[in-house]
Formats: sequence, C-alpha cells, structure tokens
Amino acid sequence: MKLSDKLLRKNMSTARIVGFALSNFIGLAIILAGLQFFLDARSLWEDEDSFIKKDYIVVNKRVTANNTLGFDSGFTPDDIADLQLQPWLRKVGVFTAADFRVAATLSQQGREMTTSMFLESIPDEFIDVADASWRYTPGAGSVPIIISKDYLTLYNFGFASSTGMPQLSERLMSSIPMTLTLSGKNSDKTIEIRSCIVGYSNRLNTILVPESFMAQMNTQLGTGRPRNPSRLILDVSSPGDVAITQYLDSHGLEMAGDKSGSQASFLLKIVTGIILAIGSVITLLSFFILLLSISLLMEKNRDKMHTLLMLGYPLKEVGAPFRRIIFIASTAALLAALLAVLLLRVYYGEALSGMTTGSTGNLWLVPLTGILLTAAIIIFNILAVRKKVIESFR
Amino acid sequence: MRINYIELENTLPNVFLNEKIPPSEIWRKRVRFERGGRYLVEAASGTGKSSLCAYVFGARTDFDGDILFGIAEGKSDSDSSPKPGKSLDIRRIKPEEWQKIRRENIAYLPQELALFPELTAIQNIRLKNNLTGYVAEEQIAEWLARLGIDSRADYPVGKMSIGQQQRVAIIRSICQPFDFLILDEPVSHLDEENNRIAAAILESEARRNGAAIIATSVGNPLMLENQTLMRL
Repeated sequence: MKLSDKLLRKNMSTARIVGFALSNFIGLAIILAGLQFFLDARSLWEDEDSFIKKDYIVVNKRVTANNTLGFDSGFTPDDIADLQLQPWLRKVGVFTAADFRVAATLSQQGREMTTSMFLESIPDEFIDVADASWRYTPGAGSVPIIISKDYLTLYNFGFASSTGMPQLSERLMSSIPMTLTLSGKNSDKTIEIRSCIVGYSNRLNTILVPESFMAQMNTQLGTGRPRNPSRLILDVSSPGDVAITQYLDSHGLEMAGDKSGSQASFLLKIVTGIILAIGSVITLLSFFILLLSISLLMEKNRDKMHTLLMLGYPLKEVGAPFRRIIFIASTAALLAALLAVLLLRVYYGEALSGMTTGSTGNLWLVPLTGILLTAAIIIFNILAVRKKVIESFR
Repeated sequence: MRINYIELENTLPNVFLNEKIPPSEIWRKRVRFERGGRYLVEAASGTGKSSLCAYVFGARTDFDGDILFGIAEGKSDSDSSPKPGKSLDIRRIKPEEWQKIRRENIAYLPQELALFPELTAIQNIRLKNNLTGYVAEEQIAEWLARLGIDSRADYPVGKMSIGQQQRVAIIRSICQPFDFLILDEPVSHLDEENNRIAAAILESEARRNGAAIIATSVGNPLMLENQTLMRL
C-alpha cells in the first residue's frame, strides 16, 4: 500500500463502513428482491394472452328475466356514448354477432362431428396478432378463427372424457380440418368455407372471425336488421381501477373473464410499491451513512490531506483512498444484494414454478436497477470527496 | 514551464489592512525575487513572514495587491498549464495547477515543518521523493549522514527533537526540482555547524537547479553567502 494511502486510512472507522455496507445491502436487497418478485409473480395473475392486450376488458349487460322475455339486452348508442365519457376509457369496440346460422363440421379419421355454433367479430385493432394469419381475403377458401380456451377445456375434460372421444391438444385441434356451413335465417342460401383455428384466448369467451369476413357474410346472408351489440370490448388505462368496477356495478354491467386477476395484480402492485418504498428509504439512509462517514473521516484527515497537498500530491491521488472505500463498500453491498435476490429466487422459485406458465420476467432489469442505484451512490459520494479535497487545499 | 521571477506588487496581508504598518521593504512595495538569487527576509515575529511564504506557495490568498509569477518558455506539457512567456497572477492558478507547480517549480519548507509524526524520518522524505522520483536513495542517505541524523532515519519523526525534525524537513524540501526554494525559518533550532552544513546542501541543490533561495529568519539566519537582505 502506498504511504499516502496508509496515512489517510489511519482514522478510518471500519465499523462505520461496515455499517454502511450492511444497511446499503439491506436496502438494495429489499428493493431488488421486491422488484424481482413482482416481475416473477406478475405472470400468476396476468394471462399470457397474445391476442388481446391486458388493458382490454370485455363487458356485457347482466342477464335478467327481462332478457329472457325477449327484451333487447344490447348496448344502445346512448350507453356507448356514456361509456366514452369515462376518464379511464381509451377506446371502445363493439362485438358484431353473426346475422346467420353457423354449423361447424369436424372430420377426423372418417368420423364427422357437426355442431351448431355462433361467430362474432371485434374490430381488428383490438386483436394483437402480428402475423398475417389473422386476415381474410374475400374469395379465399379459408377463414381464421380464434376460440376461447374454455371451449377446448370443456371438450377435453367434460365432453371427451365422458363420451369416449379422444382428447385434443391445442396444436392437434388446430390441425383438424373444420368446415363452417353458413346459412341465412330467411333464405336458403348456404355458404361452405374451411376454417382453421389460429389461436386460443383466455380472455375472450367467444368464437372470433375477422371483421371483414363477418361484414361480408352478414351482407350476403343476413336479414339486414340493425341490432345493438350485446358485448363491448374496452381499452382502459388501468384494468384494476376501482372506478371501473364501480361504474360497471352501477350500470348493471358484467366484466367477462376472471375479475380476480386484475384485482390481485392491482394488490400486487400496491404491495410491491410499499416494499420498494421501504427499500428506497433504507437505501437512502445508507447513502447518508456513507456520506457522513466519509465526510467525518475526511474531516479527521483534513490536516493530513492539507499536508499532502502542500507536498504537491495531485488532488486525485489525495482523494483516492476515500474513493476506493466508497467503491469497494458499495460494490460489495450490491453483489451481496444480488446474491441474496438470487438465493431468494431459488427459494420461492420452486413454489412459484408450479403456478406460473414458466415465463420469467426480465432477467436483466433487476441487476440493472441495482447497478444504477449503486452507481448513483458512488457518483454522489465521489463528488463529495472531491469537494472535501478541494476544501482542504487551503 | 519555468518560473523566472516572483513579483510582489503593493502586496499586504489582509490583517494589516486597517493597521498602521511599520516601514517595510516588501509590504506595499514593488519587489521582484529573481530566479538564481539568494534572499534573506529578516523580520520580527508577527510581521507576516510566514504569510508571505504561504501566499507565494498558494496556500493562502488573504492578501491585498498582487503577486505575479514570471513564466518562461519551456516544455508546455498541457493546455491546463499556464501560458509561457507571461506574468501570471497567482490568484488565477487552479488547485490542480498549483499541485504541478509544487512538484516542479516551488519547493517550500514551512515553519511548522508539516512532517507526519507517525512516519519515520525516511518515510517522511520518501513521501515526497516517491512523488517526484527526483533524488536517488543514496543521495538521501548521504544528506542524512551529513546532517548527522542517519542513525535516526527509522525513528518516528514525532519522537525526534525539533532540531532533528528540521533537518528531516530540509532534506524533504529538496527532493524535487525547483525554481524557487522557500524556507521559513529553516535553521531556527540548528546549531551553527548544522546550519552551515544545511546551507551548503541547499546552496548546491539550488545551484544545480539554477534556482533561487528565499529564506526567512527572526534572528538565526541560514548561512548562505551573497544574500540580498530584505526587511519585512
């Protein structure tokens, strides 16, 4: 070790530096662990649904006896206009129902199964399919459809197991040729078209076809009577917002799909926020511990620093031992915190892996956050060291 | 860079601003210390002799008037170093530039010596010499021997007598190249014999550097020849 370093370190309080490193470690570990857990656990509540964004919710009017008696249960233009006034709403899209009859025929190993079904469409902008598979070209012999995952589940575990039919995986199901037979309600016109399932959605409990296909078929086969849409898809700013739930309740509307998901993720966000706040406060305090320790140490060494400067030592060299302490203590705290997060992740990872779909959050986000925080602490302290060295110049 | 002269123009320590000062050959005058000269600044205690040294060394700025460095051509290493061929107001010198001047242009032995008491004599000297790499170990050993403190080289300075400490500080002060060697009462605790030896060492180092020596004294002056006497 250099003589000058040895001189300046003489007054160093190891306990104080360890105190900083420890509190910085605790603060950083809490922040980073909270963040990592949030990223990992988020997938528990947030469906990995590639077709529609998390911010979209589907609403319908609650079914009452009136509906059964035949009153219109659709959304009137007034209803939609009122919805559009809500601050949490970004965009609204209507479900267009088929104005014709639909029968689907699945043929598999010589066996045929025909079922009556229905089709709906929503504006394409609400569907998040990047590739060209979600496109219908008029005149083409095939139309893509997206069905609810629930239907496949119902078939596999309800219908197939009780009737001896084979269970189908998503991929197999998609490969089975399916023919749609569309027929007008008031005419004998019939259109047959092949279809393929391009996806399964957790959040849309319907059978979707592209909007262009729906429009074309409704013109060709439909009765032409205008009908109010029975369901709406809403693009909202925050799906967990209480204001949305209150609005829906007071207007007799229901949110389709699992509501607890968005509420749980809302809660998760709040809890994460609290944890991050606590971690931040501890980190901030540790930053001040370091700042005060280094200031005190430099104050004690002021005469020595002054003498070294009188001997012509460069300012940088006089500050070097202090910078080194800052760097080593902060880096050690960061590494320990990252290690702690890693260990914690292994610990809760097993419990979590059974519940999630296996997807993990951004793996670099947490180390990056730690590095940025540590860099900020180091830079601020080094600036303080520089100031102190210049102060002891005269 | 080389400092060719140090000029004081109407300089006065701030503490004397509102006092009636006794006649002085330096304060409130125009004085020039030339490189290569030998100056003895005689002063009574409390007339600002240590202040003068500290001003010239950039350690203090609490003075009125101006102090200028005459900068001569030389290898201008970096952009941050003062422009050559000009006189430079020392108030405008930045701390980092002072550090370079202190390593290469001005050597200073403060009255309070500024030794580290916990370090040994040789460590104190190396603290400076390791920075400049200017003097060979053998040379340091020879100086220690000539000044009669070679047997104390590995003693902590704090346990030495003031006279011995003064000799350590004298050796440390010349472990660097310099244009001006400023000695604030360098031999106040030395006997005549050691004074003579110290003067000889300092004289030969100053000659080697073509440098000036400015020594202060309150009554026991460094025994240099041909000194210009100035009363503060």
